Amino acid sequence: MSGRLEIRDLRVAYDRAIAVSVDHLGVAPGTLATVIGANGAGKSTLINAIANWSRAAPRLSGAITVDGEDFSRVSACDRARRGVVLVPEGRGVFMGLTVEENLRAGVGAARGAGGRAYALAEIYDLFPRLYERRRNVGAALSGGERQMLAIARALRMAPRLLLLDEPSIGLAPRLVALLLATIRTLVDGGLTVLLVEQNVVAALEVTDVLYLLERGRLIAGGTVAAMRDDPRIIASYLGGGHG
Amino acid sequence: MNVAQQFANGIIIGHAYALVAVGWTLLLGAARLVNFGHGQMYMMGAFVAWWLMSATGLPYAAAVPLAVLVGALLGALMQRLFLRLTLSQDLVNLMIATLGFGQILQGAAGLAFGAKPERLTSPLQAITLGGARVSCSAQDVLLVGATIVVFLGLHWVLRRSRFGAAVRMVAEDPPLAALYGLRVAPVYLAIFAFEGAAVAFAATLVAPRTPILTSIGFEQVVMTFVVVVLGGIGSVGGSYVAGLLLGLYTAFFSALVSPAYTTASVFALLIVVMVVRPGKLAASGGFAR
Repeated sequence: MSGRLEIRDLRVAYDRAIAVSVDHLGVAPGTLATVIGANGAGKSTLINAIANWSRAAPRLSGAITVDGEDFSRVSACDRARRGVVLVPEGRGVFMGLTVEENLRAGVGAARGAGGRAYALAEIYDLFPRLYERRRNVGAALSGGERQMLAIARALRMAPRLLLLDEPSIGLAPRLVALLLATIRTLVDGGLTVLLVEQNVVAALEVTDVLYLLERGRLIAGGTVAAMRDDPRIIASYLGGGHG
Repeated sequence: MNVAQQFANGIIIGHAYALVAVGWTLLLGAARLVNFGHGQMYMMGAFVAWWLMSATGLPYAAAVPLAVLVGALLGALMQRLFLRLTLSQDLVNLMIATLGFGQILQGAAGLAFGAKPERLTSPLQAITLGGARVSCSAQDVLLVGATIVVFLGLHWVLRRSRFGAAVRMVAEDPPLAALYGLRVAPVYLAIFAFEGAAVAFAATLVAPRTPILTSIGFEQVVMTFVVVVLGGIGSVGGSYVAGLLLGLYTAFFSALVSPAYTTASVFALLIVVMVVRPGKLAASGGFAR
């Protein structure tokens, strides 16, 4: 099993302001780690930094290793090619390409990525809806279908470490549960996943390790069993009714 | 007025406009970039072919592919020179830099080839086809046929090939393309090389129709601009149709009104279209159509 992520002294700054400052974050191979936090806590900034990717131009510093290999100076494109695959929040697929073109577009990069590359047939088994929609362009898909496609194309790239930025955003609750259950199945099959999520209740059901991010800093972390009873989590995210 | 002959002329000129513009259409559609040295690259294509034929005695058929190769190299050189501007989509500075690049080409061509009008001679130019009512040269037929082949070929590559998918990815969202593991820079290089090759190819086919001067670049870039804007900024099919309609328009305008005001009237037409239907001009996402 591969995909062990280690981050040390990660700092992400926009202009002068430091948006994220994380001294240590680790994800063990074959597990699902979830970072939760309020809007603006820096969740997207953190996960984008792990992919060395951004639509803005932040300054990054710190050390990132995957399976002991130093990734600190590797570009976003090469991280994707070497199996650190990000599914960004929002626009994660090409609107002008069909479902099948999206699924074929990244596959040439998968050689040497280190993870398991899913064949097209496996993808369609996992997401039957994508098979029905295979000739439709991304722009014609629903939000849920787009999210499935974004994750599916990432699986095609043989990820060692899959980075998911708020896959549940904008989806109906039933779809969120289905999507997270699918991700859990993939993790049980050996994939390593780091998930960033605002939907804490749903994420708790599938996560192994939970991190709590506030104002750019990790203020708590541990197994779900331990974190479920953490008063900060109960107070901020689960509310009285769920506690 | 011989209507049928003007119609034929319009179709031929229209294909010439479309072929000259095809490289810029891809550049604008895929890379959202402009090249105001386009006209001077057209001039270079014509003069390189002319020089190869007059200085080395090569036949026209051999000078054409060599001029196309030089055009591709010029396009690639341009992308390397303006790498930072192209990757950061700095349009204003790129406009100025490519304009300057074109002026350098024009100056260098003036020094190398002289200021006299020259003739790029194609053996097909002397062959006349048709009868008393409608006639054209074999060169015109080659021009129309080659334009159709280039447009169909480009359409096929964009729609059906892996490389075409990569171009569409870069056109839509370069940062997302990086997450798919796609290297963006070589795609830009190929797009620029195509732009240079296509305009040089167009020059070798169109230039035998008239004498060539090292100052002919300006009019070409003007017409290309009109074709690309009327065609729906960066739309491949749109540029073909726009080139064709513009050709028919200029042919009939020259015959009915005056050739002296053709370019001015084309600009008046452009302004009218931009005022009346501005929304139709932007190709929204699907430039490969």
